[in-house]
Amino acid sequence: MKSRKRLIFWCSLLGLILAMTIFSDLLATQPVNEMDLDSVYSPPGEGHLLGTDHLGRDVFSRLVQGGKVTLAVAGLSVALSFVIGVIYGGISGYAGGWTDSVMMRILEALISIPSLIFVLAFQAVMQGGMWGMTFIIGVTGWFTTARIIRSEFIRLKDAEYVKMAKMFGTPVWSILTGHLLRNSLPPLLVVTIFNLAGAVFIEVSLSFLGIGIPPSIPSWGNMLYNAQNDLLIGAWWIGVFPGLLIFLTILSINFIGEALKKSGRGRFHA
Amino acid sequence: MTVKWIGKRMMLGVLVLFIVSFLSFFIMHASPGSSATAYYGGNAQTLTAAEKERISKAFALDRPLPVQYGAWLKQAVQGNLGMSAGVGRPVASILGERLPNTLLLFGVSMFFIIIGSIWLGMTAGMRPGSLLDRGLSAFSIASSSIPAFWLGILFIYLFAVTLGVLPSSGTGSLGGDGGFVDKMKHLIMPASVVVLTHVGLYARFLQESVKAELGSYYVMAARANGVMEREIRRGVLRNAFIPYLNYLGVTIPSFFGGSVIVESLFAWSGLGQLLVRSVMVKDYPLLMGGIMLTGLIVVISLFVIDVLMYMLDPKLRKGELGG
Amino acid sequence: MLEAIGLSVKINGIPVVKDSSFFIPEGKITAVIGESGSGKSMTVAALLRMLPVDAQAYGEICFMGTDLLKATDEEMAVLRKRKFFTIFQDALNSFNPSVKMDRQLYAFSAGRVGDDQDSFQKKMKAILGKLNLSSEILNQYPFELSGGMLQRCMIACALYVKPALLIADEPTSALDKVVQKEFLKWLRLLNESGTTVLIITHDLDVVADAADEMIVMRKGEIVETGAVADILARPTHEYTKRLLDSRF
Repeated sequence: MKSRKRLIFWCSLLGLILAMTIFSDLLATQPVNEMDLDSVYSPPGEGHLLGTDHLGRDVFSRLVQGGKVTLAVAGLSVALSFVIGVIYGGISGYAGGWTDSVMMRILEALISIPSLIFVLAFQAVMQGGMWGMTFIIGVTGWFTTARIIRSEFIRLKDAEYVKMAKMFGTPVWSILTGHLLRNSLPPLLVVTIFNLAGAVFIEVSLSFLGIGIPPSIPSWGNMLYNAQNDLLIGAWWIGVFPGLLIFLTILSINFIGEALKKSGRGRFHA
Repeated sequence: MTVKWIGKRMMLGVLVLFIVSFLSFFIMHASPGSSATAYYGGNAQTLTAAEKERISKAFALDRPLPVQYGAWLKQAVQGNLGMSAGVGRPVASILGERLPNTLLLFGVSMFFIIIGSIWLGMTAGMRPGSLLDRGLSAFSIASSSIPAFWLGILFIYLFAVTLGVLPSSGTGSLGGDGGFVDKMKHLIMPASVVVLTHVGLYARFLQESVKAELGSYYVMAARANGVMEREIRRGVLRNAFIPYLNYLGVTIPSFFGGSVIVESLFAWSGLGQLLVRSVMVKDYPLLMGGIMLTGLIVVISLFVIDVLMYMLDPKLRKGELGG
Repeated sequence: MLEAIGLSVKINGIPVVKDSSFFIPEGKITAVIGESGSGKSMTVAALLRMLPVDAQAYGEICFMGTDLLKATDEEMAVLRKRKFFTIFQDALNSFNPSVKMDRQLYAFSAGRVGDDQDSFQKKMKAILGKLNLSSEILNQYPFELSGGMLQRCMIACALYVKPALLIADEPTSALDKVVQKEFLKWLRLLNESGTTVLIITHDLDVVADAADEMIVMRKGEIVETGAVADILARPTHEYTKRLLDSRF
């Protein structure tokens, strides 16, 4: 009962953040890139709810618009890695035998390589815009999904009802989607939620380092790019608010993931 | 069976290095401009024709791609990673200068993470229902949700700007003697950020496996027979440690990824900072070399963990889990 | 030696043992027989005070003048260490998989009575020899031994400490018939050296083979008690009769 309340709390918090970014066009008081060089570094207060940055841009407006970018990149990339992971893991798990062992060896090796290394490598050769980022995070984030899907498929494909379906000549495609995939959804959901947190992490980290989303597009990570310098001159609001929002977003995603993992513990054995 | 296990783990390491090398080679050739230019480093103008000829021959630049890959791999294994495009010096020697710093940060933070998480996880796991037991998972989730670089920024603001007790960045003070104490002072902040954002995660893992062990059949049998609690705990810890080590191995790659960011934030002149910088200035040979070296470090770390697991887990040693 | 008066066990408020009273005479082998779910294992857990956290015991269990249900944790720890020895059903899982047998056997036997390593080695090897176990097993890990061997190791520890009361919870159900017979033989051996034995089983053969006294349990209640020979010859309760009939 208590854990249920907690889940609702974190879901509403995440929902609030999401709503804020979805309706960012209504909420934003200034255009994101409108510079006002007369009021650079003005602290939170009148006119600028959360102050302005070193170019006099409104922090609050950039924050809500930036959230849209960050969450869109994270969400789309997770969708991409979901698809890749399900296909790779599904083939591996359903085919079994040699195909499976070769695919698993490769996967094991891929998991052993820091994904940030992949991201850096891709980022070096691609001209990374928003779509580029989404693509990069997506194609480097599917490893765990594939592993979970594979072990679920292996577990499920010997289940009685799947054998029955096969016997009755149900097409492979409908066995895969109707039986195997549908029954793998609970653990898949958990890992996808954690992937989402990871994707937000990567976007903000790379943009913070200046090798992510181009500076012209506001994202939570980008907003922090200058925060270090801003802090040195005492403009704490530029760094604190985006950081806090990133923290709360990842925190609520993680808590939701934990709650779901716990509620389905019996099934989550991968 | 044991031999099979070792073989499997070795094969994994080789495969990792192969993929990493392939990735590096791919970067080199997908990069804009002639690949030969990339091999010359930033010295395309100053190199003599003979030198260019020598490089072209060593890397088989006039041959098909697979042959080039082989030639490049052969050079890489011998330690010739080419010339940095930005600095015009051999990549290997630049990496050599950076490596000790990365290993220092990695080693020190890993040391404190392991010590801290063992202590926290053990204490929490052994006392079910205690404040620590209940608080640890919340702490773990919260601490691992903080972006390391943001915590770092807050630290810099607090300890370097406001309190002025620690240097804000770098590996040593400008004009300092470059001595041990100075370096340690610079290490404190990056290391604490890495430790704080990771220790909870590992502690919680150990806590949960200690709890699972405490609920196991053999603990009940031992308790029913009045076996000394100290003896029981010893056995429980030993068993809880095996999955903990495994978890350590599984997470080392992402741990490495995290340190890239921390190094860049604190301008800690290690491999991570080098990687980020070479992406920014598109110094491909340097990036390739850095990626190769990172891959190698990860493979070696995984190997060390495998050896430890092997020593700790008799089932592995006796080949029970060979398959 | 041990007497339960009005013992009840409830799990989350649902009774699994109902108002049971029985007596375990000193120096005898007493068997509690019943199907799974009859409450026999919960009875043992109650007298060892090792009930699951959501279970609660009521009534009185007297052992040598102490009420086990009211004893402090320290008193219980002392009793488990000095007076009882308990053998569980699953011998394979009764030992820690990653600790060598000598260390574990030491903890289960010499560690309890306070013997040093030398006398442990000497005495244990002699007992193992008697049980047809090579002393090499001391250098092995539990997963390298079979269930029967591990159950014999448990008996070896019991023989080592010669407890006042040996409790064996379904000790033979994981063993095959031949090993089971041997196990019961050693149980009697231990009994002859002065240990009172309480054996929990669902197997009437075990009762007929080894026990002097028996207690029949069904659905949390004791339906019949008495000497094994009497009950086997003249069962009074319907359930006992059916139990005897189903035996081939």
